[in-house]
Amino acid sequence: MTTTEVAPAPAGRGAEQPAPRRHASPWKRRAPLLPALIFTIAVTQIPFLVTVFYSFQSWNLVRPGSQYFVGFQNYIDVFADSTFRTAMLNTVVLTVVCVFVSMVLGLGLALLLDRKFTGRSVVRTLIITPFLILPAAGALLWKTAMFDPVHGLLNFVFGTDIDWLSAYPLGSVMTQVIWQWTPFMTLLILAGLQAQSKEVLEAAQVDGAGRWRTFASITLPQLSRYLQLAALLGAIYIVNSFDAIYLMTQGGPGTASTNLPFYIYQRAFEGFDVGQSSAMGVIVVILTLIVATFTLRLMFRTFDVSGGVK
Amino acid sequence: MAIGGAVTPGRKAKWAIIDIIVVVYALVPVLWIVSLSFKTKDTLADGNFIPRDWTLQNYADIFATDEFIRPLINSLGISIIATLIAVVLGMMAAYAIARLDFPGKKALVGVSLLIAMFPQISLVTPLFNIERELGLFDTWPGLILPYITFALPLAIYTLSAFFREIPWELEKAAKMDGATPGQAFWKVIAPLAAPGVFTTAILVFIFCWNDFLFAISLTSTEASRTVPAALSFFTGTSQFEDPTGTISAAAVVITIPIILFVLFFQRRIVAGLTSGAVKG
Repeated sequence: MTTTEVAPAPAGRGAEQPAPRRHASPWKRRAPLLPALIFTIAVTQIPFLVTVFYSFQSWNLVRPGSQYFVGFQNYIDVFADSTFRTAMLNTVVLTVVCVFVSMVLGLGLALLLDRKFTGRSVVRTLIITPFLILPAAGALLWKTAMFDPVHGLLNFVFGTDIDWLSAYPLGSVMTQVIWQWTPFMTLLILAGLQAQSKEVLEAAQVDGAGRWRTFASITLPQLSRYLQLAALLGAIYIVNSFDAIYLMTQGGPGTASTNLPFYIYQRAFEGFDVGQSSAMGVIVVILTLIVATFTLRLMFRTFDVSGGVK
Repeated sequence: MAIGGAVTPGRKAKWAIIDIIVVVYALVPVLWIVSLSFKTKDTLADGNFIPRDWTLQNYADIFATDEFIRPLINSLGISIIATLIAVVLGMMAAYAIARLDFPGKKALVGVSLLIAMFPQISLVTPLFNIERELGLFDTWPGLILPYITFALPLAIYTLSAFFREIPWELEKAAKMDGATPGQAFWKVIAPLAAPGVFTTAILVFIFCWNDFLFAISLTSTEASRTVPAALSFFTGTSQFEDPTGTISAAAVVITIPIILFVLFFQRRIVAGLTSGAVKG
């Protein structure tokens, strides 16, 4: 048995391999990509189809047997719901402000960390600490250590007596999110800064370009790809902010700091209204896809551009 | 331009002050919570930065029951398994994206990025129902599966950025010099790819470790509840007893190892981003 199998193998290898390699079928080339792709699509899209199905059902878990087809009624209800609109607005404000502020801070920090100074690696690690902390712990940390009216550091420092989380709920949440995400931006932008070739920077210096000129003409264009990546990834995760709101304010007071993910969670796991929360889930997916398409187009264009320059 | 001038002592001092301010900004909440975790219940609210009465009671409290240790084990196990699988699958995909050319590559990359942006919240309810049907609810695989899914696009994206920077001609050059394909890969390409794979693994691990939404909706008991979800139950007792000290101690326990971990590997992470390209 062994001999019959072993014998043809070397011959086959020698004779056949060059040919298929040259004309390797596209599917063979795609093969390494497929496990990941099939897996992610299965785990995300099957539940999503279920969500779509639920969104056309009237279904409340507390009332058994209440499940029946209602068409678009859930969607009509959702758009008529003023809490939904508040949550939507809060989500947009939270995302835009947090991405922008943390990117500006991140750029500043990255420029700071890119210089050589004693203890740089320690400072760098300390600065990225907020990103490494469990977001849930970070949220609790700000809630108990910073904003708390009794133990809070803010009141202690400012000598005030404010219950920050009820006075400025969204602002407080945003402060925590920015604190959490600035290091992420810093790391990405720092990676961009360090990827610059030192020769080019030295050449610019030899040619008499000042620090600002070098920054504006060489560093910034090179960095744009990293800035966009930072903004995109930051936005994806900040839109989905849930931990901070769940743990710090529970969306309150009232709905002052409710964002979409939290409102959907509330409707599903506290209100048991599967139909309406699924309808909101579908709406969020559609809005995300619209934004994501634009972002992706921008990304691909950037990569093509940088590829062309190289 | 005068701005690009020489570094004077005054300028150095100015930068040093800026550095200190920045570190304080990043660290004050952490230091404050470390301080709170060592305070006794009576001195919690005294506003002193350095505890007047040092106590280890808060730490003893969290390790006294399974309430904290079990979730810690769950978190570590689930995150490590999910990271390993995501990085292996991600490496295959990233290799295809970085090295091979085939029609529809861009579309496939686009699809994987879209999945990364897919709002997790819209999947939680169906996953909850599906996992209950399949018996996966409140088990390790029940969390590992969604974690791999959402970590994969991150892994693919980061890895293919790294792989694209690798000078693959070196592989060909090594083969011309008489190396076998295996040698060419393990001696030339693998060392260049290792920092990228390592960095990706760290990012993916942190991503899984940090998840809160799935952890809180897809678990119900200590069988699979992870640390973030367990932490939220710490606050639940607040009506009867002030949990600030315990929460602080728990936050310190789960934060410090991660900081040490990254402090230990971070030279490799950040340097890995640059040295591979420069030396190659």
